[in-house]
Amino acid sequence: MNENKKRKLEKYQRRQRKLRRKAQIRMSETIAIIFIFFVLILFGVVFYYKYSQISNREKQEELLANRAMDAALQSLFLPELICTKGEAEHEDNCFDIMKLNQAEDVFSKNLNYYFNLFSYAKITVTEVYPGNLTWTVYDKQKVRKVENGTERIWENKENTYYVVALRNDSKIEGQRKYNFGYLEIEVYS
Amino acid sequence: MIFYKGVQTKNQKFLIVPRSRKAQMEMIGLVVIVILITLGMLFMATFALKDSDGKKIFTRKGLAYSTISAVMKTTINDPDCSVSFSGQVYPQIGKDLIEDCAYYYQDNLIGSDYSLYRCGNKHTCIFLEETISEILNETLGGWNKNYEFKLQLIESLGTEPTQILKINSGKGGCWKKEKDGSGLFPLHTDQGTVEGELSLCD
Repeated sequence: MNENKKRKLEKYQRRQRKLRRKAQIRMSETIAIIFIFFVLILFGVVFYYKYSQISNREKQEELLANRAMDAALQSLFLPELICTKGEAEHEDNCFDIMKLNQAEDVFSKNLNYYFNLFSYAKITVTEVYPGNLTWTVYDKQKVRKVENGTERIWENKENTYYVVALRNDSKIEGQRKYNFGYLEIEVYS
Repeated sequence: MIFYKGVQTKNQKFLIVPRSRKAQMEMIGLVVIVILITLGMLFMATFALKDSDGKKIFTRKGLAYSTISAVMKTTINDPDCSVSFSGQVYPQIGKDLIEDCAYYYQDNLIGSDYSLYRCGNKHTCIFLEETISEILNETLGGWNKNYEFKLQLIESLGTEPTQILKINSGKGGCWKKEKDGSGLFPLHTDQGTVEGELSLCD
């Protein structure tokens, strides 16, 4: 009888050991799953962070590009630069050289008005044919005062180009002469 | 698995999960994985199917149009142009030189060098090709744009158009995916209609 009880107890203890081992395996399984789950979540968070960073930068670039487009369109149709024929409609994609010669002066005298239009930007008109003149119509950059003068502090720059004809009425009487040039708009942020 | 009811502790009872619940838990795990993969795919699709930049398209179209419009307006400042005329003339590319090139294009093909304007002491078609190439290369070429400038002459309705001028950028014509054109610029000449078009691509 005693022998029987002993055998039963041994059998029970063996089962207990087996059960403990199984529970340990289950625990490690659960820990592994939780670990993988957290790794996946971490991946997701990192991915989302990167994505939002990139999309933020893209949004900023898009805003700058829109500003560049607006500035380009505004300058293409500025009455201070565009070719006009008395009271008739203006000419598309054409700047009057006589107006350009005076533009720098006009723009610098009314800087506040043009700053409302173009904000931080630089507008230049360059002649390509037949000569190679350049007119800097507007130039306002983000600057910071330092000991030896000023320092540019813009981070991004967006360039936009438009090709324009440059009308020259001053040289020939009765004949209109058109040169070939381009308008360059740089906007800063 | 058989356990002795009397000797089981509370924790040991918890470890025995019925088979149906185990299957349900595995299904939940599978669903979570599927959801995660779907989310990843959606993100990737958002990146891949992103619309092309609106600014780029707008400026490409605007630039193509403004360029061809300025080319057509440009006048040539060369005293040689006025050989056949009395006094100095400043022929306009779009109005005078293209018409002259269209009119004397066939003569140029058979080897005759005659054209009304003699800018640069050359046949108008040759002068046009050189001048337009030069100014486009200095502007569009300098901004790393690929372009293709074409002039086609349509002599009468139903006839095949004749290409009188074709200028490609230094890197070749417009073979890239993102392409926009200026639209057709028709010019009416004595020889027929000349259609000009400038295509730009990034």
